Amino acid sequence: MKALSAIVKRELIAYFSSPLAYIVMAAFLLLQGALFALIVGYLSQPGQSSMSILQAFFGGTIFFWFFLVVAPLITMRLVAEERRSGTIEVLLTSPVTEAQVIVGKFIAALVFYLSLWMPTVIYVVMINTQAAVDWGAVAASYLGVALFGALFVSLGLFASTLTRNQIIAAVIAFTGLIVLFGVPLIRGLMVSSSVLAAAVDHADLWQHMADYSKGIVDTRHLVYELSLTGFFIFLSTKSLELAKWR
Amino acid sequence: MIEVENLSKTYVDTPVVNGLSFYVPEGQVLGFLGPNGAGKTTAMRMMTAFLPPTTGRVVVAGVDLDNDSVGLRRNIGYLPENVPLYPELRVDEYLRFRADVEGVSRSELPERLDDVTERCILTDVRRQVIGTLSKGYRQRVGLAGALIHKPPVLILDEPTVGLDPNQIIKIRELITELGKDHTVVLSTHILPEVEQVCDRVFIIDRGRIVADGTPDALRRKLIGNPMLRVELRDAGETAPEALGRLPGVVAVERKADGSFVIEHIGDSDPREAVFRLAVDREWVLLGLTQEQATLEDVFVRLTKADEAVAPTGEEV
Repeated sequence: MKALSAIVKRELIAYFSSPLAYIVMAAFLLLQGALFALIVGYLSQPGQSSMSILQAFFGGTIFFWFFLVVAPLITMRLVAEERRSGTIEVLLTSPVTEAQVIVGKFIAALVFYLSLWMPTVIYVVMINTQAAVDWGAVAASYLGVALFGALFVSLGLFASTLTRNQIIAAVIAFTGLIVLFGVPLIRGLMVSSSVLAAAVDHADLWQHMADYSKGIVDTRHLVYELSLTGFFIFLSTKSLELAKWR
Repeated sequence: MIEVENLSKTYVDTPVVNGLSFYVPEGQVLGFLGPNGAGKTTAMRMMTAFLPPTTGRVVVAGVDLDNDSVGLRRNIGYLPENVPLYPELRVDEYLRFRADVEGVSRSELPERLDDVTERCILTDVRRQVIGTLSKGYRQRVGLAGALIHKPPVLILDEPTVGLDPNQIIKIRELITELGKDHTVVLSTHILPEVEQVCDRVFIIDRGRIVADGTPDALRRKLIGNPMLRVELRDAGETAPEALGRLPGVVAVERKADGSFVIEHIGDSDPREAVFRLAVDREWVLLGLTQEQATLEDVFVRLTKADEAVAPTGEEV
């Protein structure tokens, strides 16, 4: 437990002592702020009130474009850099398991990711001064943000165990994310009654997030995100064990 | 303290470490000496449970690698080659991190931090960011990290590589000091280092131990007879023959610069006889030097026999 918290703490120090973290944060807030302003402006027009701000903000497609860039940037360093610099040798010859190393890094990356979202709570507070806020939907939206974060961070972490090169890790994570997002795009090619089409519907992350933003927490979605996250953490652990052989 | 039995590592049919077997008693400072790519690093990585051995057994302080890899790692303080550190951390932060990962208890922590920073002469730089430290300091930070959990065994891979001469002297003194209460295995390709620091030396070549003994014994056993260099003026053509007839002398060789190198049997000392001979023949004796061959000669002789290059296995 102490080893795990030490690993989390070290990763967080690494995040917050790197300029990249602040650039990512600034860019993230700039884009989110611009998006929020646009949505508020749009919905303020007469006759446009059929949609809640939350739905537009979290359920829209723009939400996903952030992840494509931000998640690989957050995760690319995690294992790749330790393998490049050789610190992994110190870490894995101390009495910790590969699983502790992976889980520690996962928690740290998730905490950093969530800290990116923290300032957006101000938007909700701002809306609350002008209009009624559905707090249930707010909670569900942020739950969705956290679940998606966990999934994308675990995918990026796995990518980072595959190489010593941070850029390659980022590219692999980027490709993996496109596959995850892109699933619904091939839906149109399928016979709508087929099993495959049903599976694709089930894996439609855009739909999942749209539901969360409306305040719907569907356990099927929850299970999909959590089980994939667990799967990638498991893969990362195995991959780190195998890295010794390469 | 350390038992290694038939330890081997093979990468796709190429043996990098080939059947190492040895025993290191408590308190010994053992040096692995060998050319680059001899398998020193690979052997150490297997002993520290970083690389899984292809075959063989490692037992450190009674803990078998096969049964309890985590327990074995607890008994070892390991300093890998090139001292990998986290440059963004402060020295204190790094040592706390190592202490937590190595399982040092909260109550022991302040005492352990003070002990290792003092031993490794880091007290002045405790608040400094590691990335800003010189190579010599970084080496000591790495060593302090390896010592933080009071391991009975220290394994140091090339601990002086890349340091300037003053830093090398400091690190060697530190290792000698640590050797008093630790069992130490270190690797190097620098010969004087082994002679100064180690109680025992393995010369390793292409994954095998080709010689094992104290630095002195290796020199005596493998170098052969001692040599005496004699510089004479006015010595005639008869000089080699006359020198050759002195008691204990085995051979005389005339060097290009006109001096003579006399090989004599180990327990004889022909210096006095050379002096008297020179006086007798009215030669002027300009110099008389005992030439002590170094481990370098042994090393070259043992490892140069075949120039075949062994694979390094340095990458992870």
